[in-house]
Amino acid sequence: MLQSYISEIGRSAKSYCEHTARTQPTLSDIVVTLVEMGFNVETLPAYAKRSQRMVITAPPVTNQPVTPKALTAGQNKPHPSHIPGHFPEFPDPHTYIKTPTYREPVSDYQVLREKAASQRRDVERALTRFMAKTGETQSLFKDDVSTFPLIAARPFTVPYLTALLPSELEMQQMEETDSSEQDDQTDTENLPLHMSTDDSGPEKENASVLQQNTSLSGSRNGEENMIDNPYLRPVKKPKIRRKK
Amino acid sequence: VPPVGMLLFRMNRKKGDKGFESPRPTTHQVVCINNINFQRKSVVGYVELTIFPTVANLNRIKLNSKQCRIYRVRVNDLEAAFIYNDPTLEVCHHESKQRNLNYFSNAYAAAVSAVDPDAGNGELCIKVPSELWKHVDELKVLKVHINFSLDQPKGGLHFVVPNMEGSMAERGAHVFSCGYQNSTRFWFPCVDSYSELCTWKLEYTVDAAMVAVSNGDLVETVYTHDMRKKTFHYMLAIPTAASNISLAIGPFEILVDPYMHEVTHFCLPQLLPLLKHTTSYLHEVFEFYEEILTCRYPYSCFKTVFIDEAYVEVAAYASMSIFSTNLLHSAMIIDETPLTRRCLAQALAQQFFGCFISRMSWSDEWVLKGISGYIYGLWMKKTFGVNEYRHWIKQELDQIVAYELKTGGVLLHPIFGGGKEKDNPASHLHFSIKHPHTLSWEYYTMFQCKAHLVMRLIENRISMEFMLQVFNKLLSLASTASSQKFQSHMWSQMLVSTSGFLKSISNVSGKDIQPLIKQWVDQSGVVKFYGSFAFNRKRNVLELEIKQDYTSPGTQKYVGPLKVTVQELDGSFNHTLQIEENSLKHDIPCHSKSRRNKKKKIPLMNGEEVDMDLSAMDADSPLLWIRIDPDMSVLRKVEFEQSDFMWQYQLRYERDVVAQEEAILALEKFPTPASRLALTDILEQEQCFYRVRMLACFCLAKIANSMVSTWTGPPAMKSLFTRMFCCKTCPNIVKTNNFMNFQSYFLQKTMPVAMALLRDVHNLCPKEVLMFILDLIKYNDNRKNKFSDNYYRAELIDALANSVTPAVSVNNEVRTLDNLNPDVRLILEEITRFLNMEKLLPSYRHTITVSCLKAIRVLQKNGHVPSDPALFKSYAEYGHFVDVRIAALEAVVDYTKVDRSYEELQWLLTMVQNDPVPYIRHKILDMLTKNPPFTKNMESPLCNEALVDQLWKLMNSGTSHDWRLRCGAVDLYFTLFGLSRPSCLPLPELGLVLNLKEKKAVLNPTIIPESVANNQEPVNSTNNHGQSVGFQNTFSNSQEEEEIDMDTVHDSQAFIYHHLNMLERPSTPVLFVSDICTILPMLIASLSVSSPQATVGSDFPPFPRISLPFSISRCKEQSSGEVNMHPVSAAPLSVFSKESNSSKHSDHHHHHHHEHKKKKKKHKHKHKHKHKHDNKEKEKDPFAFSNSPASARSIRSPSLSD
Repeated sequence: MLQSYISEIGRSAKSYCEHTARTQPTLSDIVVTLVEMGFNVETLPAYAKRSQRMVITAPPVTNQPVTPKALTAGQNKPHPSHIPGHFPEFPDPHTYIKTPTYREPVSDYQVLREKAASQRRDVERALTRFMAKTGETQSLFKDDVSTFPLIAARPFTVPYLTALLPSELEMQQMEETDSSEQDDQTDTENLPLHMSTDDSGPEKENASVLQQNTSLSGSRNGEENMIDNPYLRPVKKPKIRRKK
Repeated sequence: VPPVGMLLFRMNRKKGDKGFESPRPTTHQVVCINNINFQRKSVVGYVELTIFPTVANLNRIKLNSKQCRIYRVRVNDLEAAFIYNDPTLEVCHHESKQRNLNYFSNAYAAAVSAVDPDAGNGELCIKVPSELWKHVDELKVLKVHINFSLDQPKGGLHFVVPNMEGSMAERGAHVFSCGYQNSTRFWFPCVDSYSELCTWKLEYTVDAAMVAVSNGDLVETVYTHDMRKKTFHYMLAIPTAASNISLAIGPFEILVDPYMHEVTHFCLPQLLPLLKHTTSYLHEVFEFYEEILTCRYPYSCFKTVFIDEAYVEVAAYASMSIFSTNLLHSAMIIDETPLTRRCLAQALAQQFFGCFISRMSWSDEWVLKGISGYIYGLWMKKTFGVNEYRHWIKQELDQIVAYELKTGGVLLHPIFGGGKEKDNPASHLHFSIKHPHTLSWEYYTMFQCKAHLVMRLIENRISMEFMLQVFNKLLSLASTASSQKFQSHMWSQMLVSTSGFLKSISNVSGKDIQPLIKQWVDQSGVVKFYGSFAFNRKRNVLELEIKQDYTSPGTQKYVGPLKVTVQELDGSFNHTLQIEENSLKHDIPCHSKSRRNKKKKIPLMNGEEVDMDLSAMDADSPLLWIRIDPDMSVLRKVEFEQSDFMWQYQLRYERDVVAQEEAILALEKFPTPASRLALTDILEQEQCFYRVRMLACFCLAKIANSMVSTWTGPPAMKSLFTRMFCCKTCPNIVKTNNFMNFQSYFLQKTMPVAMALLRDVHNLCPKEVLMFILDLIKYNDNRKNKFSDNYYRAELIDALANSVTPAVSVNNEVRTLDNLNPDVRLILEEITRFLNMEKLLPSYRHTITVSCLKAIRVLQKNGHVPSDPALFKSYAEYGHFVDVRIAALEAVVDYTKVDRSYEELQWLLTMVQNDPVPYIRHKILDMLTKNPPFTKNMESPLCNEALVDQLWKLMNSGTSHDWRLRCGAVDLYFTLFGLSRPSCLPLPELGLVLNLKEKKAVLNPTIIPESVANNQEPVNSTNNHGQSVGFQNTFSNSQEEEEIDMDTVHDSQAFIYHHLNMLERPSTPVLFVSDICTILPMLIASLSVSSPQATVGSDFPPFPRISLPFSISRCKEQSSGEVNMHPVSAAPLSVFSKESNSSKHSDHHHHHHHEHKKKKKKHKHKHKHKHKHDNKEKEKDPFAFSNSPASARSIRSPSLSD
């Protein structure tokens, strides 16, 4: 009963305090609560000053365990005034030191490559297996069709298109490598060992041709009409035959 | 004039230097195709030829035309009668039982001759209406108008019509002309010869969404009245041979060359970006040729068309070239780029020599091929560098040498007819070289190769400057002539002939190159040198011994200068030796005293001075290395012996790539640590030519395998690869791909392939190597690369395949997953993944699929995976990319051979007949010939009568629409069965042949086992020679003594029979007929194959040497010449009933026979003499062949047992 009575006092007091837009109950809140609960407040000081009231004494200090000096680091924070001195001390200051942690990316080259490789392999494997599961397959072993499933060969109507045109992935790649010149890639491991200067191979010519192309296409717009190629000429209307 | 006489007359004239004059020269031809139906694959049109008669009584005009349906022929608007007769449709009609190739080849050559435009013949014979005879006699112009159509052409014109929705243009349907040599007759009637030029007007009416590309200038494009179609009008004012006329129609994308506006490129829809990139280089080729030839490109425009299902990769026609669409590539592709550029350059070279300048006759072909190949070589040198050029020359030389040694020679300038001593210049071959159309494709390829090599030899002799002057002269003469009118008779200047070319050379250079021409052009064969040396310390002389082998087939004797380069301590010295008949030894004085100048640098040929570690060399000799014919100025094969350290020095320090390559090949025989070191050093050397380094990889693998027990350190090349291509921090991981440096790209591709060839002591691929390759595949990362890695990945798969060794199999257990080798499981895992990924992200030209299919076949063959062709057959179907199909078909061919599968062989042969793509059909036969299921000396369950019949049918009539295919079938037949009657056939009707005159019985030559015939090859060829002499005699005799019935000869069919009957057939049964034919008509009937004429010039015994051992034994057993031996009784009766039908045939010839009696008597004397001679020889060794099982079988034959 006592417990519920005290709880009720606390709850009501809190309500009153919140009602007045505060967070900490004040004395007046308690008073109002007690009044509300039908308690005569005026009797309270008298009750507090009664002669036979019980006082709880501090526990006797018995052989306080001496903490080894070595283990203490720094000064512990003193208790604030509302905490009795006999309460245990605050933890050592170093325990309050915090290092914010988040998962940093693995920067080790080898692990990266390893990961990229196995990831790609897993994706490819899963994808091809899925395709194989959902479509027709061929097998190298008559007794087992699932271990090495081969997606069945399907003829194309126009076979040369898929064979010659770069795939979308490659196109994308090409654009990427074109925009960021390959030489200044971040992959330091990959710097070309030796770029031969006298290499008049196709790639150099390509580069020059590309340049010329762009410059040409610029100038070509102007002279487009001037190109006299019979295949660009308009198709003539048929002549109307006159009867002789 | 009897036509045969006329023919001979013409031939004679042709031999003269003035060139051949056609009786029906065309000055102008109109070709108009007014309807092309892609759905039905048909063409309708007409041609109009303007003809100037040169002979008065020209009453028949012969033109070429194949597979065209001819509706109507008008001459000067008068209806004309015509006969259409194509003897090449079915080569042998009546010989149902003859199955020997010799006979076929003769018949085929005769059939081709019978329609040869160069001899004034043709399939289509038009009778000039009698009303016009007078007109003709006044040599006035004739206009021949022919309406024709083509329905589903099987050759000459190829339709590609994808099977999908949409209009023909949307589907990308297209059609183009194609063929091997002069094949224009397949799509319109013409004089299909390279030597008859005329001007052209070409008109094509096509769907409005389509473009028609053809020769000459596009004058205008006009809509039809309904506006749904348009007509392309082309004019070609430069006189051009009909064989150089071409056509391509399709919904092409048009690209005007940005550098040269008169050049236009065409490709199929969607490929324009690729076309742009691919052709962006062409103008440089143009510039190059125009510069070296100091001559403008002769035509006013040039067109390139890229089409699907191409017949050949490059086909050059007047002012246009047709390429395979598969040559197109994007900027990401490395490997295809040089190949495509080569094709473009080749096509352009042929524009000058081949299209603009044509040839006088077939025997002048080598000049054109030679010049175009030679200037193409100059372009190669300029574009890819001297190293690449020399490497290419070496490669070509090796190829031609290998081919000539294998087949017995390639003759560039065959001379026919005329001289009696030389009329069968190619008796070692199973086909006639008289016509391009009878030529094996491989032979023709090698012919071109030899032609350009010989041009290079001429250049060596007269200098490049003069050479180019000669070309310029030819071109400027031609270009003057081309602008003249026909009447000026100048057009023949546009035709090149061997004699004209040689005359030009001597005029320009003042040098006599006749010996060179005689050696390499008029004669076949290559030179085979064997060299060895000793150093004579006392005299300080190098004693060089050079031997020649000139007795093996395909070789010839070389007499003349030979350059030898000796690298000594004091420098490199050239010596020119005179190779003479009898001198083998040559003393070459040395310049250096051995070992005196230890510290000095050693000067090389190119002036460079290098430090060498001389500790390896022989202390007594100053010789570092020796090279014979370093400039490849003889078509030769050199086998030279020098010690290993000399080869090592040569590899390290000789700067010529050819020498380096030779050294690498030689070092294979010296598996020592020193060789290993030399090779590794070369591999690491950045300055070294990349192809040499690539070659060194393979040599190193071989050496490592030979040294396997003493090999120390990691597997060969592994540490090197790691150092070059792997990350520094983690050596097991390869760097992300960067192919900017092409040399290292090629090395990176090749090294794993070579490494996979390494074997450990158990003859297995070391686990370490396999893991290494698997890691390369695993860590391959192309994301940051500018280039595609498809070729690299494909080669990694090849490397996996190379690592496979035969499975250990216990009692032929069935291959299942459970007993799969764990290593193979890993390999299979990769292949499966790669092959499946190709379906989702296909690689360029499906290179990865190709490699996967090859690898799977390797696994099958080595017994790891059950052998099964089903997978390959599905990839071989029409609709897959051509490279994939070829790879799959190759696997099926291999399966057919290994598993001796009749079913698969049938499947392949069906494909040869039915596949829509001519190239695939050709390739199957080619692959079957190179990897035959069995050969003539082999017992095989596949070899049976049905197969013989099938193949015979294929070459006899099944392939008449494609010369190349027919020759391919002939090649295959030859590989499988040889020249004579296939051994699997039942014995012919008669086991014995009677020689009643000589009173002898001879075993029918057709049943002589092939192995025997084979052993006798050299002898045989001499006989053939003799026989041809006989043929010549007969021919001329018939001309002198006999008036041939004009009408029969007019008919080309009859012409062939006429020829054939005069030809001797070495392996047909021969009967020396005399009066006996009246006694035994039946016997003759059954032997109708040996028609009476065959006996006329008979100072020969066909196959005498072969048949004689038997004949002698027969003679001894049976008191010689008893006619009552009566071989007929031994033959099955059914034969008679069957053969009696043909008795009429022989009766028909009786009169000829009687007329030739006189002749026969003359020859009788000789005849006997020769027999005696043969007998003598044979008596030494009469039973030489009785051991062979085949001969044993024939002795058991019923005909003999009688």
